[in-house]
Amino acid sequence: MKPPPFAYARAAGVPEALALLRDAGEDAKILAGGQSLVPLMAYRLARPSHLVDIGRITTHRYVRGDGGGLRVGALVRHLELERATGLTGPWQALREAAGRIGHHPVRVRGTCGGSLAHADPSAELPVVAAALDASVTLQSADGTRTVPAADFFLAPFITALEPDEMLVEVAFPAPPPGLRSVFEEFQVHSGDFALASAAVAVALDGDGVATHVRVALGSVGPVPVRAREAEEALTGGRLTERAAAEAARLAASAAGAAAGSSAASGEVPGGGADFRRELVRTLVTRALDRLKEKS
Amino acid sequence: MNETGSRQDPWLPPLDPVTVELDVNDSLVTCTVEPRRTLADALRGAGLTGTRLGCEHGVCGACTVLLDGRPVRACLVLAVQARGSRIRTVEGLSGEREEPTGPGEYEGNGENGEPGGGARLSDVQRAFRDGGALQCGFCTPGFLMLAQGLLADEPDASAERVTDVLSSNICRCTGGVPIVSAVRAVQRARKEAGS
Amino acid sequence: MNHRTPSVGTSTPRRGVDDLLTGRARYAADLDRPGQVHVRVVRSPLAHGRIAALDTAEALALPGVLAVYTADDLPDVRIPVRLPFAETAETPPLLQPPLARGTVRYVGEPVALVVAEDPYTAEDAAELVDVDIDDLDVAATMAAATAEGAPRLHESSPDNTVSTVSLRHGDVEAAFSRADVVVRERLTMHRHTAVPMETRGLLAEYEPATGLLTLWGGAKVKHFTRQALGAMLGLGPERVRVVEVHVGGGFGVRGEPYPEDFLVPFAAMRLGRPVKWTEDRAEHFVATNHAREQEHEWEIAATSDGRLLAFRDRAWCDQGAYVRSQGILPGLLPALHAAGPYRWEAFAVDSTGVLTNRTPTGTYRGPGMTEATFARERALDLLAAELGLDPAELRRRNLIPAAAMPFAFDAPEQPHVPPVRYESGDFPASFETLLDAAGYEALTRERQRLRRSGRLAGVGLAPYVEIGAVGPFEEAFVEAADDGTFTVRTGVSSLGQGVETVLAQIAADALSVPFEDVTVDFSDTTAVPMGFGAFASRSTLLAGNAIALAARDLLAKAAAEVGGDPGEVRFDRGTVRGPGGATAPAGRLPAGHGRFDKPHPGFSFGAALSLVTVDAATGAVRVLRHAVLHDVGRAVNPELVRGQLAGAASQGIGGALLEELVYDEQGQPLSTSFGDYLMPTAADLPEIDVFVVEYPTPTNPLGLKGAGESGMVGTPAAVANAVADALGAAARPVTRLPLTPGNVRELLRGTPSPQATTVHP
Repeated sequence: MKPPPFAYARAAGVPEALALLRDAGEDAKILAGGQSLVPLMAYRLARPSHLVDIGRITTHRYVRGDGGGLRVGALVRHLELERATGLTGPWQALREAAGRIGHHPVRVRGTCGGSLAHADPSAELPVVAAALDASVTLQSADGTRTVPAADFFLAPFITALEPDEMLVEVAFPAPPPGLRSVFEEFQVHSGDFALASAAVAVALDGDGVATHVRVALGSVGPVPVRAREAEEALTGGRLTERAAAEAARLAASAAGAAAGSSAASGEVPGGGADFRRELVRTLVTRALDRLKEKS
Repeated sequence: MNETGSRQDPWLPPLDPVTVELDVNDSLVTCTVEPRRTLADALRGAGLTGTRLGCEHGVCGACTVLLDGRPVRACLVLAVQARGSRIRTVEGLSGEREEPTGPGEYEGNGENGEPGGGARLSDVQRAFRDGGALQCGFCTPGFLMLAQGLLADEPDASAERVTDVLSSNICRCTGGVPIVSAVRAVQRARKEAGS
Repeated sequence: MNHRTPSVGTSTPRRGVDDLLTGRARYAADLDRPGQVHVRVVRSPLAHGRIAALDTAEALALPGVLAVYTADDLPDVRIPVRLPFAETAETPPLLQPPLARGTVRYVGEPVALVVAEDPYTAEDAAELVDVDIDDLDVAATMAAATAEGAPRLHESSPDNTVSTVSLRHGDVEAAFSRADVVVRERLTMHRHTAVPMETRGLLAEYEPATGLLTLWGGAKVKHFTRQALGAMLGLGPERVRVVEVHVGGGFGVRGEPYPEDFLVPFAAMRLGRPVKWTEDRAEHFVATNHAREQEHEWEIAATSDGRLLAFRDRAWCDQGAYVRSQGILPGLLPALHAAGPYRWEAFAVDSTGVLTNRTPTGTYRGPGMTEATFARERALDLLAAELGLDPAELRRRNLIPAAAMPFAFDAPEQPHVPPVRYESGDFPASFETLLDAAGYEALTRERQRLRRSGRLAGVGLAPYVEIGAVGPFEEAFVEAADDGTFTVRTGVSSLGQGVETVLAQIAADALSVPFEDVTVDFSDTTAVPMGFGAFASRSTLLAGNAIALAARDLLAKAAAEVGGDPGEVRFDRGTVRGPGGATAPAGRLPAGHGRFDKPHPGFSFGAALSLVTVDAATGAVRVLRHAVLHDVGRAVNPELVRGQLAGAASQGIGGALLEELVYDEQGQPLSTSFGDYLMPTAADLPEIDVFVVEYPTPTNPLGLKGAGESGMVGTPAAVANAVADALGAAARPVTRLPLTPGNVRELLRGTPSPQATTVHP
């Protein structure tokens, strides 16, 4: 389980990283925290020709508000998000999800940008990105472009990133008034890949009526799945137990449809499709219950 | 192998060993490694074999070391990535928060004519020993470093948090529960000592 | 020195622990020899096929590669069976060659060996060995292997079975015809295994000048390994030295002779350079023995008042693709443990080893007995439910009473089958001790409380017997030195259990000298007597008694020197003193020698008790309380034995709830990482309550019984019974492990679940 050979360069800043990336060609990979890439190399399932190490870049290690929205630099460690006590209300799901990634030592090294770019179907942060309508900023030596999360994740481990591009930031738009989000996940035991996850965001008006709802699911399809029927069912009503149960049922059927649409939905032991659907139902129920409780 | 053209090629070629200087336990450790060599392998190659390899894919935690004060899997860090970081391994743990052992207190093992090898044990090591938190000892250095990092970073961690963090590593002999108890005992002792 | 407090019975701090805490301890991968090279095993990517071509040219051309060996380079040898009673007429043609000869039979089977200057290059080169395999039909499960028209794994076995162990006691048909109640169930234990944190590792060095081969890293049965290697490599066993180093857990799988134990020394001899091999984790999951997979068709006959009459157990035990060094133990051991601690009038057991295209199996802590206990105790709980009887009461009414000891079932004697004979103990009293100490009544009240609050909660029990003290014998020598110290040499092994501490305690007491003055040495086959190794909970018992005898012999030799009876001589700082005042330097005494023979294994009693909750919505099982009790005969070091029991129970919980070696229908292993094979951690486990009872056995002078594995044996059964109790009669019965959330949900599916749509507690 020794990694195959590769050329290595450490970049001091983003421009240098982008130059190295272009120089290295199609089979190069960015090395950030390395918590997903290095194990794949140990199993020789990934064989990059070049690694561009961006781990020391300091300019993209920020979490900052931006006109009500939130910008997170690619090199923010999961541990930093987990400990960012200011991430409440609309950003609560982000903090909760970060705290569920791998084990503690993995969260010490792993980066936000790395997790998104890796696009593992069972990863946590892509689900949050989907629920909070995030977009990612992709930069190359030629310039930058912004891609909504919905268009970024294409298939398991495949994204809209070009070989010479680097994901430099994820941006969350200013939330509708009163938005709150939570993250729920089921792992057989802590640190494992999730069998199912759900990021749920709801904005309630003064009367407790949902004005904006997002239900995003992980580990149930090739990419994060939006449970749109569940969102529509909840929008315009109160978060009653009955409404939550119905939304959870709709979310489970969305999960089932997503699983059916792809054979490569991230095989995790002990996770048959029926079971994942049941888990989605439970997780969405629990998430909505938490959102209701606080209102 | 690549054609970057500049005189100062930024690329370390795949199969050419390079000299890497690492700051390990406050000493300079120089190793000559290919870029692909993991930090765990580099440390072990430098004779620091207390950092053990149990899975090489970042799950078991036997290779846990402190990198800039925080626990990481040394099998998931390349040696070249660790340049410029402070690394602590189990070999640097003795002497931390040591206490002189009183007469009659069990200190060394007396085995093979090496009465304890002269090293004093840290409070975490002593708590592991006294709490039955090890059997075969293979996972022990990784757990010690994980515990060391946690206790320094979050001295007031709740019982639940201690269990959660210590569940990052696997102990096949004890299951890990006695390790949690040992770390909780250190927390209490440090609190009582007011440190 | 005259009136020392005995060391035996005290929790003397374990020796050598500082080396483990400081990282100084050296495990196999930590050893280096000057000029060493590294090997990598090329393994079959397919479960069954014929090797059409093997091209090593590209690998050999890689810089840094020294050699690539295939089966053609090797003598035509097989890894032999270690225990005579585990070998049958059927086993010789089913043994594994070190490298596949013509046919591959499981994914991971060694097909070639690459030698290179460093492990990274060796792995690169191994990928370049081109193995062309024409695939054959695969028997990926026991069902597939025993079906009509199944692909045949070995010429010598047309039905893909190894051999069948049959035990008969009493008149089964008559007992069943008298039964008021008959319960039948098919119970399946899944494939899982020991997975020690240290993978296997070896370092071999051959000195042509002396013809001496040294192998570092072989633990557990090093004398057998020496003998086997001597024969296979064409060296006399006296030319082979096996040195044990620190070991990161054994649990049955480490230290058996494996293909690599031949390949590594073979390469060292061929190349004339030290050769090192460190198994990696992905290899470990396909190369090191698997264990446990069995199916039992159980049938119990009982009276309406809960008296057990008879049982039938038709068992199918997975051997994997070859018979390995443990021979037919995967099928034999469950047969010996089917009856357990109960007074049956009659039984019939037929246990068949089945060959499948998967990694071969061997023993894992509590082998055979854990599987048999799971099947029997699950069946007994089904019977208790049928009778409307409390599960504890059903056991209580049927445990063999103390007055019946020693107890033997009157099964006719057969070759290969040790007698099932219980030497001593008080099963009913021990069982009550567990119920009282762990608070069975309180746990059942707690269960009711949890149920009233809407949770699924259950209590499960599992008494068992455990085989131990497997012979044939151990020897020991005790030498005195003029500096006042004593050296004990014995042939057992240390696998991280602290056995060196326990043996020093026994020697110190037998000599009436301080514990600190005694050193135990067993690490090197040239320095220690013949020995049989560390398995079947035997080390303390066999070596301990041999040491006690050797110490007595040393005292007798001292008495011959200084006068008086052996009981009257005293060692005092390097001098031996007789009762009349005569003295002699201790170092002048010849070594004391002792040998303890154990022609038949012994059995000891234990029981496990578990309280669990199940999250109905997710199927997640949580073990809230878990208690294990075992009769150890006599606890030499109570803390160490408790640690062994608690650790074994923790492994048992992992096996019951998480761990499984999964294969697809093509025999491809799906559990080759810790992401797929889930190991228990602190968050998954409760603190284990351990209760040690001591009913010394009269069959050895120290009164000891085996204990190292016992926390395992009843644990999966108790957890399974507790989960079944929690799920209730509306769910499908628990008939197979592991009880992962997905599997538990499957049992619950279709039943009204109180929580499926309600909120998180």
